[in-house]
This record gives sequence, C-alpha cells and structure tokens, in this order.
Amino acid sequence: MTLISTLIGTLVFAVLAPVLGCLLAGLDRIVSARMQGRVGPPVLQPYYDVRKLLEKEDASVNSVEKTYIICALAFALISGGIFFSGGNLLLCVFMITLSSLFFIVAAYSSRSPYAEIGAHRETLQVMAYEPMVLLFAIAFFVAVGSFDTAAVLNLREPAIASIWLVFLGLLYVLTIKLRKSPFDLSMSHHAHQEIVRGITTEMSGPTLALVEITHWVENVLFLGWIGLFFVWGNPLSIVLALAVMVVVYFLEVFIDNNFARVKWQLMLKSAWIVALVCGTINLAILVF
Amino acid sequence: MAFASKSPWVIHYDASSCNGCDIEVLATLCPGFDGERFGVINTGNPKHADIFLVTGSVNERNISVIKEIYDQMLEPKVVVACGICACSGGIFHDCYNVIGGVDKAIPVDVYAPGCAVRPEAIIDAIVEGVAVLDQKSKALKEQKKGAK
Amino acid sequence: MALLGFLIVFPLVVAAVLFAVRNDAVRDAIVVASAVVIGVASVALVALNLGAPGVFFEFSSGIIDIVCTIIGILIAVVILAYAVKYKNLLAGALALVQVALALVFELMFAHGVHVEFGLYFDSLSLLMAFIIGVIGSGICVYALGYMKDFQHHEPEGAKDRRPLFFSLMFIFLSAMFAIVFCNNMVWMFTAWEVTTLCSFLLIGFTKTEEAINNAFRQIVMNLAGGIAFVVALFLAVTQMGTLSFTIFIAEAVSNPAIAVLPVTALAFAGITKAAQMPFQSWLLGAMVAPTPTSALLHSSTMVKAGVFMLVKLAPVFLVSPIPSVMVMLVGGITFLWCSFMAISQSNAKRVLAYSTIANLGLITACAGVGTPEAVWAATFLVLFHAIAKSLLFLCVGTAEHHIGSRDIEDMDLLFDRMPRLARYMMLGIMCMFIAPFGMLIAKWATIVSFVEMGNVILLVILAFGSAATFMFWAKWLGKLSGIAGQPENVELTVHKSEWGSVLLMAVLLVIACVLLPYVSTYIVEPYICYVYGGSGQAVATDNLWIASICVAAVVIVLFAGLGRNKSRRVNVYMAGVSVDNESRSFKNSLSQTSEATARNWYMEDYFGEKRLSPVGVGVCTVIIVAAFAFAIVGVPGLL
Repeated sequence: MTLISTLIGTLVFAVLAPVLGCLLAGLDRIVSARMQGRVGPPVLQPYYDVRKLLEKEDASVNSVEKTYIICALAFALISGGIFFSGGNLLLCVFMITLSSLFFIVAAYSSRSPYAEIGAHRETLQVMAYEPMVLLFAIAFFVAVGSFDTAAVLNLREPAIASIWLVFLGLLYVLTIKLRKSPFDLSMSHHAHQEIVRGITTEMSGPTLALVEITHWVENVLFLGWIGLFFVWGNPLSIVLALAVMVVVYFLEVFIDNNFARVKWQLMLKSAWIVALVCGTINLAILVF
Repeated sequence: MAFASKSPWVIHYDASSCNGCDIEVLATLCPGFDGERFGVINTGNPKHADIFLVTGSVNERNISVIKEIYDQMLEPKVVVACGICACSGGIFHDCYNVIGGVDKAIPVDVYAPGCAVRPEAIIDAIVEGVAVLDQKSKALKEQKKGAK
Repeated sequence: MALLGFLIVFPLVVAAVLFAVRNDAVRDAIVVASAVVIGVASVALVALNLGAPGVFFEFSSGIIDIVCTIIGILIAVVILAYAVKYKNLLAGALALVQVALALVFELMFAHGVHVEFGLYFDSLSLLMAFIIGVIGSGICVYALGYMKDFQHHEPEGAKDRRPLFFSLMFIFLSAMFAIVFCNNMVWMFTAWEVTTLCSFLLIGFTKTEEAINNAFRQIVMNLAGGIAFVVALFLAVTQMGTLSFTIFIAEAVSNPAIAVLPVTALAFAGITKAAQMPFQSWLLGAMVAPTPTSALLHSSTMVKAGVFMLVKLAPVFLVSPIPSVMVMLVGGITFLWCSFMAISQSNAKRVLAYSTIANLGLITACAGVGTPEAVWAATFLVLFHAIAKSLLFLCVGTAEHHIGSRDIEDMDLLFDRMPRLARYMMLGIMCMFIAPFGMLIAKWATIVSFVEMGNVILLVILAFGSAATFMFWAKWLGKLSGIAGQPENVELTVHKSEWGSVLLMAVLLVIACVLLPYVSTYIVEPYICYVYGGSGQAVATDNLWIASICVAAVVIVLFAGLGRNKSRRVNVYMAGVSVDNESRSFKNSLSQTSEATARNWYMEDYFGEKRLSPVGVGVCTVIIVAAFAFAIVGVPGLL
C-alpha cells in the first residue's frame, strides 16, 4: 500500500514540484529585485534559464558527474513523493540527505579546485543543519505520535502548538537548506560573493539545468516541512499552511537580501547551538 | 526563437582595461540599468556563461587567458568587445606589448566602442549579441539533428 | 549439536595443522578449503534452523571443565612470560590476579554447580555464527594474499612467522564460536580469555616497539574486563546458584535486585571488549597490526563478542536501572565523541577504528535501552556493521599495498587508479552512513526505540553524532570519487584471494541490504520474539521495501551507470591560467608554475583527539565508577 502511494506520490511530485518550484524561484527573483530597487526579470525567467541550459552543448569534465546529478534529482523527487503522499518523515529526511550526498560527490569527482572548495563547504553545511532536521523529525513524532506525515490530518490542533520551539530552530537552518545568504557558503545565487561558482563550478549546460531543477524541487519540499506544522484535522488548515509557507519564503528572501555571507565557524556553531537549545528543550518539555 | 535569447548570462573579463569600462559593465547590472530585466546575469564562470564581455586591449600577457576562457565557454557563445580598447586597442594600440583589439585573440561578434563605453551601449551590444546567440543556437540545433 | 561441536573444534584442528605447515601452496589450499568448510557449515546451521527459538543441548563434561582450567592457566603463563620479557608490571600483575581468582573460583565454588545444558543456540547465536563463519573465514582467505605482500616487505632473512599468524586467526574463530554457543559461563569465560590472548599476540605480531606497547595496552584493559567477568561468576554462584547463562539472565530478569552487581560486572566486561570509552584506546592501538587482523578484530570477532554479551543482557537492562544507565550513557557518549574525533583523522584505518567504536557505542546504547525495538536495531547494527566494516578494511588493506599509503589524502584519484576497488570501497562507505543502506535503517529503528523510551539525551546524542558521521564519511567518499585523465591502473596485481574476499563481502552487503525485510523477518525477529514474546520491528515493512529498492538503484548506478556518459570532455576551470590541466597546475602571478591542491577539512581545533579524548574518557570513567558504587551499595548483606 505504502509502496504504491509512494510511487504515485513521486510521479505527481515529479510533475508538480518543478512547476511550483520554478514559479517560486521567479517570484524570489522579482521580490529580490524590488528589495534592491530594481524592476527584475519576468516571473518565468528561471524557466527560460533552464530551457536555455538544456539547449546548450552537452560537455562535462568527466564521465560520471552527470550521472551523480541525475541521482541527486531522482532521490530528491522520491523524498518529496514520500513526504507529500503522507509517508514517513524520517525516510524523507534520509532520502534528501542521500540527494545532497550525490550532489557533493558530483562536485568532488571533478577535482576542480573551486568545485572542491564548494563541496567541502556543502559537506560542512550538511553537518550544520543535520542535527536540527533530525530533531525536527523526532519532535514531530513525539507531538503527533507517528512519523507518517498523513497523521497530521487526524490532529485536533496543529503541531506548531506543541513544537513551536522546534519550528523556530528549523526556520534557522532552513536558511542553510534553501542556500540563502548569510549561509550560502557552498553556492551563492549572487555572483558577487562567490569564489567562481562554488560547488557548481564545473557543472554546465544540461547538467546545470538538472541542478537548478533539483533546487526547485528541494525548495518545494522544505516549504512542505514548514507547512506541516500548521495542518490539522480541519481541511481549511491547508490554506493557513500555504499562507505560512508564503510568509516564510518571503522572510527567507528578506534575510537573503539583508545579510552578507558569514564565516563557516559562525554557521556551524550557531546552527548547532540552535539545534541543541531548541531541540533539547522542546523534546524535554514534550517528554516530561 | 531559442531560449538562449531570453537568458543571456555573461562573464566579464578585464584584459588590460583602465577600469573605466569595467565600472560601466558593472553599472549595467546595477539597479539603475537593471540588466536582469532581460535575464542578464553576471556569472563569473565561463562554463555557465553565454556572452563574453571583454574590456581593454589584448597584450602578450593576457592573450592566452582570453583564449582559455573563450575555449571553456560552451556553444553557443558570443563575444562582445566593450570599449574602444577592446575593439581596436584604442589609445594603447601602439604600446610596446599591446597586440591590439580582442579580435586578435578570438572571434568577436559585437563591437561596442566608447571611452568609457556607456551602459546603454553595453545593453545595446548585449541585445545585438543575443540575436547572434539566437542564430548560433539554431545552427547548433540543426547540427544536432543532422548528427542524429 | 554435532554441528556446533564441529564449528568449535574444526578451526582448532586447522590451527594446529597450519602451525606446522611451512609451504605456501599447501597453506593456501588448507586455508581456502577450511574457510569454505567453516562457511558452509555455519550457513548450513543457519539455514537448517532459520527462525528457531532457543535450542538447548544436554551436554556437560568434567573433562572440558578441566581443559578450561588448564587453558586458563596456560593463558596466564603466556601473558606472564611476555610481561616478564617486556618488563610490563601491570599486565603481569593483572594476569596473576585473574588466574588466582579463576582458580579459587573453579576449585572452591564452581564444583558444586552443575550446568545441565552446556551448549545452546538461538537466533542471535545463529546470526553471530553466520558473521563469524562467513565473514571471519572470508578474512582468513584474504589474509593469504595480504600476508604474502607483507612478507615481501619484511627485511631480508626475517623469519617467516605466517604459520603462527594463521593458526592464531583460526583459534580466534573457534573461540568466537565457543562464546556464542556455550551456555556454561565458565566455558564462555575461557573462550573470552582466549580471544583476549589471541588479539594480544596478533596486535603485537610485528614486534615493533609500538606494536608491543599497543598489545600490552589491549591486554591490560581486557584483563580488567576479564577480572570483572570472574567477579560476575563468583556472584552468580553465591547469590543465584547457577552458572548457566540462560538461567542467569532469566533469574536476573525476575529478581533484578540481587543481580545488579553481577550484571554490572558482566556489562563492564562487555564494555572493555567492545572498546567503549574509556577503553577505546586499545582498539585504536590495534591498528598497528596487519590489516587482516584489524578486519577480524573490528568486524566479526573480539569487539563483537563484547556487544554480543551486552545484547544478550538487554532484557536485564530493561528491569535493572543501574547497569542500564551505565551501558546507555557509556555507549551514547562513545558514539558521539568518537564520531567527532573521526572527523579529525586522515589515516584511513584510524577513521575506520573510530567509526567502529562509535557504531559499537550505538549498539551498546541500544542494548542498554533494552526494549524489543532497541534490540532489533542493535542486532541489525551488528550484522551490517560486520559486513560493511570488513569490506572496508579489506579494501583499505589492498589499497595500502598498491598505492603505498593508508592516508585518505593519498587516495585521491583512486577511482581511476583502482576502479573496481574504489567502487567496492564506495559501496562500503555508503553502507556505513547513508540511507537507504542497512546501517541507516538500523539507526532509524534506534531513533524510534529511543523516542518510545522518551530518552531525550540519547536522541540529542544521536542527532549530533549522525551529523558528524556524515561529515567524515562524505569527505572520504568525495576524495575517492575524483577523476582525472588517464592515470595508470595499478589494480591488476591484486591477489586473487583478495578479490575473492572483497567480492564476497560486497555481495553479502548488497544481498543483506536488498533483502532487508527478509533479514528482519527470518533472522532478527525470531530472537526478539523468543526473548520478549513480541515483535521489535519498529520500521514498517513497506518502508523497508522502499529502502531496499533504493539500494538496488544505487548499486546499479555505482557498478553499471558510472562512466557511461559520452559527452564531450572539457578541462576544469583554472581561472584561465592553466599550464597542465591534468595535473591542475597553473601559472601564478610571478609567471611560475604552481599546482592547485585541495585537502579535506579535519577541523583539529574543534574535533582534535587531544582536545576531546580526555573529556570523553573522564566522563565515561566517572559513569562506570558511579554505577559500580551504586551496584555495590545495592548488594544485600555486603555493607
């Protein structure tokens, strides 16, 4: 049963998430431009970018990079499929980590000095956000009584009521996961604060297009995690969740445009301290 | 119309410019002129870029660098010479180590003269370059079909 | 029962024969043949009794009791001889104390106690037998090729001590079989001490100063554990009147109050053997030994004996808080701390060692929790850790002989230089830390069991430890995956026996991961049902299937998908100033040639051994001392 629903979920997600993610990225760029006093590109600009990249010549520094990137995209899609079909949240977290690993290994495989620096930093970022993400899944289980995301539909009140501290912690590491400044150490969307192009330096043409799509998909999934806090038995709550997702994304764009990149030390320390404080206190309150 | 024309990503290289043109290139991407309206993004990486903006003249020291960056850009690609030095060597044309304009090193598609070149001229040149990009993109597609 | 006896005795016979054989070809034949025999016998045992609850055999023998006593004395004599030769007072003293205690115990106390069912097996023993019989003997085969290279590297005219090496390996297997099959605790204790002595001799095999020092560190720590074992035997007889392990556990579960001290002592013995903090240094020191030894110690034997003991005691931990808290905290802290310290290591074998200790810590913590879910997780961890770790050790050993280094930084380009080996190594690494592979599934179950216990400390430890685990494995994996041009392929000279063993581990790994749901139903669950009377599978079977499908996909990509992309090859970006793109050299600002190199992050300032190790050792020592203090206070009539 779970197998079939996961399969269907993955297929639906594979169709819808890139569309939503693309629109989201377009909005992001317009909002960013307005914050900087510019007009900004059309809302479909990310779509044009990816189509252009797909049209470019297919060239690569080695024979494996693209394979790794395809794996990264595939596992991101599976992860989203598991999440939105009401599957196991922990499995979803593990799968998205697998996706990041393939992305990292793709960069490492090029042996380009710049891409390798990006890969090191990406590894560090995963280490920084992983505790909070795991604690989020655990706190969700304690609050809801199941790892299955579908279980929220049986709740009397949203999970946020009991795990709001974890929500704040997740919000903090979300900036890392969405690759937003000040925590966009491995790959910035803004060329001015990047060493060449960080982790994606050697990825070009169609491969880069796949990377972009992976990011769209990831963004949709991560916002789904945020929305999960606000859904309960009442069907109208989904509207509330969507509204919160929009607000959170706006907040992330705002942060992105107002902070310069920090050093890795600050990122690692602050993310771990946030995880330790938010995660431990909230879990302790729930358990005792 | 190919999608190449809707998302011209640029890379900017300062060959031996006095920095006048460089400042104007960056001004093009700043809020005042907002090149991103046309999808222009400064990538800083030849592997991602479609349009190569070169400022300053080519000399003995940087000719190999220009060639290498050009080689690392993927097809279809367009070169825009920004400023008179890049177009012909400008006032430095008879310096002891200057070879001349960018076209002495790599094929140039669009020339944007000026000292320093105006942002309007750069945007014009990029739009001009986009048309060339479009043609090259179509040619590449035909070639791909032919190969199959 | 014949099969059990065969598995214990046959390796001993082989060991005796190998000790006498000096000819390479004959030794090869004997080792391969007997490894196959042991492997087949243990697989047959598992297959014939799949899903069996506990099966006991009425077997007691005064002769074996006497043999055990003699072996105990012999062990003490050997250790004493070495202690005198190398002037190590502590080891000698501990050996004397232990043999004195053991003799007093066996002559004065043990006589009156009769253990009716001397041998037994249940599903956990079967799992262990599978690990020992298949993985252990696989490593013995691997050692054939490895030790040939090893002998080549020895100075001219050095004595060929391989007969001793191989007979020790087989004695080790025999002792391990005895530990998992013996119900008589005295016999078990003897086998326990045999493994201690064997690993002492194997660690000190090269006889360099470092090797001798590390061997003595190992023996001192494990003798301390052995003494705790004897103390537990004393208490078992005086307070509970039994030497049957099964009855001991049952008594302890039904009457936890009297069992606190013996269980704590046994748990302590397990902790020393499983190299938990503060005893982690012996396993790190064991790295000086030839690689097959490390593989054997880390994956299928020695440390697994420690966790086997702890997992066996898990039902007692569920009802007895003092040893439970001790085991839980020591395991948890070891997991966290060793995962952190692994980040700072660049020596591949030390990374593996720290990861072994960390994973054993997790198993220990699970055993300490003691719920069916936790034991399910612990059993899975034991299985997958054994396979993946032996695969990794064998790969590192082979790589070391062919690239001349065991430093991770030197494994750059391994994907090109040793394409097959690098893929196996990547498979092993992925299995260690990333979903959907077995270890992560076990970790998942661990999370569930901790959540259900409401154990916040262990949950937080697990979250941070997993993050650190990602860091040190991912950077190693990345280093392996680097590709450039056409470097020379150096793996053509790898011995056939080495390929055979590596392949065996890799195949086992893939099978175990893909057939995960079946492993759970037929191998792990029967033990949980037998002990707890209920299911311990905390992860839904459907989710296990999702995981196994994903494993299959990753394996296919790894072995069939990579390297098939035929797109145009381009150079890497070197800011336009590359001189030789293959070697990443570029023209610098002074027109000279520099090479671009990137080293991984080790973050010594944060995760350095010197900084972290004393803290972990201190905290764990305090926990153990406190646990013993509470346990002693709790013994009726002692104070």
